[in-house]
Amino acid sequence: MLRIFLLAFAVWCSGGAFAAPVVKTEHVEAELVAEKAATQAGKPVTVGLRLRMEPQWHTYWKNPGDSGLPTKIEWVLPEGWKAGAIQWPYPHPLPVGPLMNYGYEDEVVLLSELTPPAGVANGNVPVKARVEWLVCKDICIPEKGELDATLTLASADAPANARVEAAIARARNNLPVDASGWKFDSALNKTSLVVRLTPPEGVEVPAKVTFFPEREGIIEPAAPQKVSREGRAVRIEMKLADPPPAAVKSVAGVAVAGGNWPKTDAKAINVAADVGALPSASGAATGSVAGSAAAAGTLASLFFALVGGMILNLMPCVFPVLGIKVMGFVEHAHGEARAMRMQGIVFTAGVLVSFLALAAIMLSLRSAGAQLGWGFQLQSPWVVTLLAVLFFVLALNLSGVFEWGAFAQSLTSNVSAKGRYADAFISGVLASVVATPCTAPFMGAAIGATLTQDAASALVVFFALGLGMALPVLLLSFFPRWLRMLPKPGAWMETFKQVLAFPLYATVAWLAWVLGNLGGVDAIFALLAGLVLVAMGAWFYGRWAHAGGIWQPAIAVMLAIVGIVVAWPGAGSAGANEAAKVGETGWQPWSPEEVRRLTDAGRPVFVDFTAAWCVTCQVNKRVALHNTDVVKAFAARDVTTLKADWTRQDPRITKELASLGRNAVPVYAIYLPGGEAPRLLPEVLTPSLVLDEISRLPAKQPTAVTQR
Amino acid sequence: MKTILAIAAAISTSALASATPGLPAPGFTLTDLSGKAVNLADYKGKTVVLEWHNFECPFVQKHYKSGNMQSLQKKYANDVVWLAVSSTAKTASDYIEPASISKQLSEFKAQPARYLLDEPGTVGRAYGAKTTPHMYIIDGTGKVVYNGAIDDRQSTNVADVKGAKNYVALALDEMKAGKPVSVAATTPYGCSVHYK
Repeated sequence: MLRIFLLAFAVWCSGGAFAAPVVKTEHVEAELVAEKAATQAGKPVTVGLRLRMEPQWHTYWKNPGDSGLPTKIEWVLPEGWKAGAIQWPYPHPLPVGPLMNYGYEDEVVLLSELTPPAGVANGNVPVKARVEWLVCKDICIPEKGELDATLTLASADAPANARVEAAIARARNNLPVDASGWKFDSALNKTSLVVRLTPPEGVEVPAKVTFFPEREGIIEPAAPQKVSREGRAVRIEMKLADPPPAAVKSVAGVAVAGGNWPKTDAKAINVAADVGALPSASGAATGSVAGSAAAAGTLASLFFALVGGMILNLMPCVFPVLGIKVMGFVEHAHGEARAMRMQGIVFTAGVLVSFLALAAIMLSLRSAGAQLGWGFQLQSPWVVTLLAVLFFVLALNLSGVFEWGAFAQSLTSNVSAKGRYADAFISGVLASVVATPCTAPFMGAAIGATLTQDAASALVVFFALGLGMALPVLLLSFFPRWLRMLPKPGAWMETFKQVLAFPLYATVAWLAWVLGNLGGVDAIFALLAGLVLVAMGAWFYGRWAHAGGIWQPAIAVMLAIVGIVVAWPGAGSAGANEAAKVGETGWQPWSPEEVRRLTDAGRPVFVDFTAAWCVTCQVNKRVALHNTDVVKAFAARDVTTLKADWTRQDPRITKELASLGRNAVPVYAIYLPGGEAPRLLPEVLTPSLVLDEISRLPAKQPTAVTQR
Repeated sequence: MKTILAIAAAISTSALASATPGLPAPGFTLTDLSGKAVNLADYKGKTVVLEWHNFECPFVQKHYKSGNMQSLQKKYANDVVWLAVSSTAKTASDYIEPASISKQLSEFKAQPARYLLDEPGTVGRAYGAKTTPHMYIIDGTGKVVYNGAIDDRQSTNVADVKGAKNYVALALDEMKAGKPVSVAATTPYGCSVHYK
């Protein structure tokens, strides 16, 4: 029986396309397997080196990791034949104590493509592979073998036997593939290498991803890889090799997922990227400092956060509060220097505490899974209402309807010290709250970079932002000499104070409009009616509260509370005029599908990411986007203009912003046909800047193109 | 919290530090094959070469069978203190008893100044020794000036020794000539050090 079987085996072997002597070593069985029993001249044939290891023994990938050696194949082929490089299946991590190897256990088939010259005669062709491998368990053994195979050239292909076919198919299955539409970035920090994989639109990233660099000695293979989501992308942070490698200009390797990569049937994809700065957006920002901010890493983000914070002081929504603060300075300028310094410090503390609180809220919301962006507070009707009431009360105070004095006195017996500090602290908090919807240039990228990072660095950037914002006031409090540039106090101050009330009234008007966008005309009416009641309360307080009784302030407070209750946004009013949002002529509502449809059709698309509560957005719209020359230029270049309105939470817009590396508006992006990365414009627009951008677009294509 | 956990995880699983060129070398006291205590500080003012070693490893064997390592030890014997170190754990299958190490050293006519036993692996981990061989050079001021491979031929093939660029010889020659070490860090190659 056994003899018959052996005979059959021998017949089967000799009848096959190859006579592969199997090389057996102590721990490995090696043989060559050909993809086809017969192949044709001039056509490549795939031949696999099959290594079967004893259990727990392993051989290595092209980058062996901390130790080891990749398997080597040297082909000995008849004249004119060509051999391709080894096609390596994706590796497995093989930990050894504190070290890590990359390789294969049990079995691996390393495929190579052999190409016979065209026109060579049919028949059997002997090929030979000189193979060296290192096989390790606790100890390593370098082994080698010469493997023979006979390939058959015929006029038609013939399939290999099932056993071989299965082995080759398995190997093919484990080869990394090129995933179409994915974008890869890489950046080098002091101690880490970051690789970011951005999927094409509509494709999800797998939950579990491990990166294997193909070059040895770039990373510490044993250090755990930090994998996190960054918008749509997945970000893999790896510990840089220690000591750090010499010049790393590019990174190539294989990313292995827990299951198959979406839209492929492979567990691994090829990854290659030049090492540079991780662009915050999918394209470089044109002419915008924001782009370079993200580029320069954490330190730069800190610097830009600081500068951005300082610029916040000039934003239309902070300036009124700053005005109040400067008034306070004038009042105290001839007072005690130390007390003033203390006030500056307390103001700074107020700003910092609120920025950090805001960061903490955002981080906790983020970890709860909510998709948020800067300025999100103003997407909530009740926050807008409360702010409107607050500003209105402040404005009434400045107009002289009532004085804080008595009110504060009743709260604290020591106004001269404590009251002033409380005031300084509160104005710090106030300045921060109103600053948030204004994203000055610089800020977008700094925040965009941090919100996707770990909590600690996000907090540090927020701290820098707050510090930058408080800095001018802090400096003034420490160098009161600069205050001399401010006029002396006198009767004009009352006038000035009353003048300062008007920016605050304007802010209330703006907030009413924001609320109208959120809740419609009814919401505006409720707010205004409430404000009337609040005004009555304030007047009542100013007129009679100083009389000394208890019931006058009580009535004032009652009126104010009723006012707030009236103004409180009803649940029913939300979303009343959603459809009326895109009003301007020529501007279509945005959707990612629309952008893709238009760019696929070969048309450039300009997207205005905007929100009603974003003052900068409104200014840009009036000054630049609605400029007649700009409108004409859009038409001349056949640019479709889309408006992405973020006044209310819209997860699609939040997602798109994240993929552009931002989480605040305004953002202006030009999407070009041909899948090129969108071009970003600066956050403050001028007509000439937009015209310049438009002129760089390709000229309108004639409708019929004849190609030679 | 998450960050702290991640850091803790990083420390516990990759408990390898590193001896970075330009920084002071981690100090140590180890016993040699004869049981004598050896302190790195004893060699202050002298150049010290550390060679992570295991005779079971084919990469180490390549450099001893070819006589490469012995000739380096001999050539620089007057200028440097050559210390071979074994950090292999007793439980590892490539652990060699000290008596057997002595025997093989004399068979190979190897001449390290001392052969140090680091069975607990503390020193190996402090230096981040990954492979056998893994080479370090420490200058007279106690600073690491080289960390990495013995040469640029990642193989177990004895024939590859000839014609390879030997980084250790290169660095020692440069130091002797009063020049800075041009290649201060490379990726070591060899067998994994099997730590406890």
